[in-house]
Order: sequence, then C-alpha cells, then structure tokens
Amino acid sequence: MNRKSFNKITSLIVKEKMFSTRMLIMFPILLLFIPGLTWGFSDPDIVLPGGHLPETPMEVLFYSSLGIVFGGTMCAVLMSFDGVSKERASGVLEVKLAQPMMRLHQTLALARGTTIAVVIPIFIMIIISIFIIRYRMGVWPEIMDIVVHFIATGLILTWYTLFTLIASSKAREQGTAIAFGIGIWFFFTFLWALVTSMVAFASGIAIGQESDPSWIALEGTLDLFSPNGVYHHILESRLPEIQRGVSGWQVWIMAIAWTILPLWILARRMEDLVP
Amino acid sequence: MAEVVLQLVGASHRHSISAPTLTKPWKKILGPGIAKINLQLHRGKILGLVGPNGAGKTTLLRMLAGVLPLQKGNAIFTSKQNGQFIETKFSSSIELREIIGHMPEQVRWQGKKSVHDAMIEIAAMRGSSEHRILGLIKLVGLNTRIDSPLDELSQGMRQRLTLATALLGSPNILLLDEPFNGLDPVAAQAFSQLLQKLTEKGVSIVISSHQVSGLAGIIDRIALLHRGQLLIEGEMKSVEKELELSDRFDVTGESQPPSAQLIEKLGMELIDCETNIGNWKMQVKGNPDGVLKNLIDEGFEIESWKPHAPDLVEMLCSATGLRVEDVGLEITSSTFLPLAQREVEEE
Repeated sequence: MNRKSFNKITSLIVKEKMFSTRMLIMFPILLLFIPGLTWGFSDPDIVLPGGHLPETPMEVLFYSSLGIVFGGTMCAVLMSFDGVSKERASGVLEVKLAQPMMRLHQTLALARGTTIAVVIPIFIMIIISIFIIRYRMGVWPEIMDIVVHFIATGLILTWYTLFTLIASSKAREQGTAIAFGIGIWFFFTFLWALVTSMVAFASGIAIGQESDPSWIALEGTLDLFSPNGVYHHILESRLPEIQRGVSGWQVWIMAIAWTILPLWILARRMEDLVP
Repeated sequence: MAEVVLQLVGASHRHSISAPTLTKPWKKILGPGIAKINLQLHRGKILGLVGPNGAGKTTLLRMLAGVLPLQKGNAIFTSKQNGQFIETKFSSSIELREIIGHMPEQVRWQGKKSVHDAMIEIAAMRGSSEHRILGLIKLVGLNTRIDSPLDELSQGMRQRLTLATALLGSPNILLLDEPFNGLDPVAAQAFSQLLQKLTEKGVSIVISSHQVSGLAGIIDRIALLHRGQLLIEGEMKSVEKELELSDRFDVTGESQPPSAQLIEKLGMELIDCETNIGNWKMQVKGNPDGVLKNLIDEGFEIESWKPHAPDLVEMLCSATGLRVEDVGLEITSSTFLPLAQREVEEE
C-alpha cells in the first residue's frame, strides 16, 4: 500500500465529511447531548432516579456517555449512510474502482476517513465535557478514565460507521441506505432491551429485577452482543462496585470482534461490488 | 497496420442476477453479459464499439477497465522494450487498471468538494503525481472552475472532469463510454480534436456508442456488439463491405424520379425510393461511375448525390439477419445471450 496516497485519500474524505452541511446540523445536537448532559450530571444538586448521586468525574463521564450512545452514533449513521451508495448512483464509484489502487485499500481509506470525520467533533465534545467536569466538580478525571473513555467512544463510533457503510454498499439508492443505517441504530439503541427481556423471559429469569444476580448476569452477557452494551462494559471497567459477571477479556474480545467482523464484511462486499 | 497493444482472448463475464424461489430465496443465476470475445486494440487507433441498448458495451468496457473481472479468457498486453515487442498475460485486474484510463458514461460529480480536490483524490488512487493535475484541468478547459464545488458544474463540465480523471497517469488505452452525451457541438468538436492528438501520441482509444453516425470521421475501426457477442470487427470500409452495406448512395431530386428499370440499366440497384409532391429521395447501390452524368443526360433534375453511411440498425440487421422489429425494442430478450452461447451450468 502506498501510505502517502492512502493518507491523502483519508484526509480528503475527512475534510469533505467534517465540513459538510450534515455535520453543521449535527454539531449543536452533539453539543446539547454530550457537554450538555455532562453539565447536568455534574450538577452537585442532581439526584438521579433511584436516589443515586454521581460522585466521581468518571461517573459523570459514564452517565454522559448516554449522549454518545444517542447523538454520537446517530451522527456516525448520518455521516456514512451514503458513503458508498451516493458515489455508486452517480458513477463516481466506477471512476474510483477503475484506478489501480486495490479495492481493499480504497475501502480502508473510506472507513478510516469517515470514522475520523465523526470521531474528531465528538472528541472535541468530550474535551469540552472534561473541562465542564473540572469547572463544576473542581477535579479532573483521572488520565486512565479519559483514555478509556476516548478508546470506548472511538470504538463505538467506528462500529456504527462500519455497519452503516456496509448498509450503504448493499443499497442501490440512498433511501434504502438510510433506512438500513437507522434501522441498525434503532435496534441496538432502543430495541436491545426488548431482546434482553425476551431472552430473560425464555430463560425463566424475572425481568428488570436489578437486585437479582441472574438477571444482572444475563443482561451483562447479552450486552456483549450489542455494540452499545460492549461500549458500556468498557466504560464500566473504570467504575468500582460494578460486577455484571463478565470478564475484562471477554469484553475486549467482543470489542475486537465488533471491529474486525464488520470491516471484513465491508471489504468483502466492496471487493465484489459492481458499480 | 499499427501493432496490437491489448488483446482479449475468449474473454467472458456474465452478471449474476437474482432468481428467488420459495425454497431458495437468495438463488442467483447467470444473466446477460459478454460471451467469449476476442478483441484487439491497436496502438494509436480509435475503435468504435457500437451496439443497441443492452448489447454489452458498458460491460465490455468495464472488463477492459479492470472494474469487472474476466471470468474466462485472458487479457494480453504488448509493450515495446528495447525495440522488441513483449507480450504480458495479465493475471489480475489491477494490471489492466494501470494501463487504462476509463471514462464511464454520464458521471454526476457532486458535493462541496472542489474540482481540484476531486482530481487529487483520483490521482492518489492512481499513484500519479499532483503536478500533472493543473495541466489536465487546463487541457479539458476547466481551468476557470478549478476551485468550484462539484455541485456547481454543468453536465458538460462533469464530462470534461471525468475525461481529465481518465487521462491521469498517461494511460496507454483510453476507454470512453458514450463520451459525447452532454457535450455541446463546440465542445464535441474540441473533444474529437483532443482524441486525435492523443492517438498521435500512441494512445489507443475505445469509444462506445449506440450511434454509428456520431462516430463517423472519428474512428479507425468499428466493432459491432449484440447480445454480448462481437458480431464483426474491422476497419469501417471492410465492415461495410462484409455486411454488404458499401457502395450505397443517397440521391435526391425534383419532379419525376428515375424508374427502377433505368437504375438497373445503368448498372445500379434501387434499394429504396420515397416520392413527395415535387421532389423525391432514393437510395441506390452499385458502381457509381458515369451514373450521375447519365441521369442528368436523361433529363432528371438531381439535387444531391452523396455516399450513404450505414446506421446501427442497418448494420445489425445485416449482421444478424434479423428484422428491425426483432432487433429494435426488445431489450429484455436482446440482453440475454442466444441459446447457442449459453453455458451448460446455467445456475
């Protein structure tokens, strides 16, 4: 692979997507969802349902990750739903596939460029959030907390970008591509609780009993099969007193699987793609 | 004759098409495509690839461009090294892509990206240096639009941009899919001149079109494609002769037209004659020596006398033996290969 060409293509994709109208629309939404939630959760007077009070900066970061699950992943879907389908419909993809660069390298550049375009603004939001925590709570989050938060966020955004690019490579027109992307987002963000409940019901476990160890273990295990679940498992590794019956190595194996598998599917798909 | 630069030997590509059944919802079968084509591209020559809709022109161009793989057959490239011709059998599509510039039909460049950035991206994929970009943009007449967003380009400008991307990396062979669509007459004329300049530099060009007339005066050779098969290929004159479409003339005149008997007596054959009030138009075939003079001497008022250029329909009808109605609008049937060419393992 010609690294210079690869980086050039990536940087052009980043430039195009990061300064697009779509990102401009997403920016205030991200601002409300990520630093906005952090501002709320770092309020010294806040009391969450169940009477819980976020006490540490990592807890605040953990709760505000809800904004990333909703807003950040939505941003990833919106930025990548037409990553392949638009160029395929316009004929530009044929021009690109006729170039001597390997399709695998073109695919990697597309996936990398799109992910970076989504990750940069969201990382900026997280940095703003860290400053908000410092301002509101008077302490900085620990370096490892910040590193884990950045890694987990980078991973979940990569996963959603890859899912949506696969959908985009399958769809011949953009309506199907966006329906596919949002469908995946909706499934893992809203409907996964339903899947968990159904499995619990079938296994004879009382649903939603937060004090029942078998419910907690089942929920923890099933979360490995959802990108959002793995994301929260990674973040929970920095929170004390959380035991959901899942080991750290299981979480990281699933994180690797959620990265490699969609990337492999996308590469295979692009290899066989007829423009 | 110029040396062969690339040849396809027994090249085939059949598209997979969905054919779901109740028990196999994802079942796919082999659909239309290109069947066992042998084609030669000559250095510095322009080949016109003509055929009706669904004949397989775009599929063949995509095979040549390395966008679609050769499922069967080979591509053999001939290069000149130290005064000797060396044949290389390509084993992958990437090798084809390195020597070929491809201009697909009607590419709709869009987005906020500038013309310059779009070229830089393709240049990076081609591995060619960026310093050629400005020259190519100027060559296709887009130098005043270099920083314009792609969304602001007209269709003609988009065509020029696609041509510029195809010329990146100085390809040995240039593939142009319906390149004149969307170009105004002035641009089309300039485009034709540019193609001539490229051929003088030794670039081989393939132009696909569904109109033979649009290619007249541009192409050196013609290849007639129908139902995924190459019906005939050669120099225009020899193809016309082989299809018995040569030595034909369009004659127009006023008052009464000459009779079929008189035409026959003068050594020609009457093919078609249309008469209107006060004027007539006919098509004749044969040796024209002295015929025009004899007709004028007989008192016929001749307005024009010009060689008849065969169109695609005539060529197809002559090559396939089919009638116009059979060749014409039945795209569904014409896209599928004839039974004789179908493979045994159809599923």
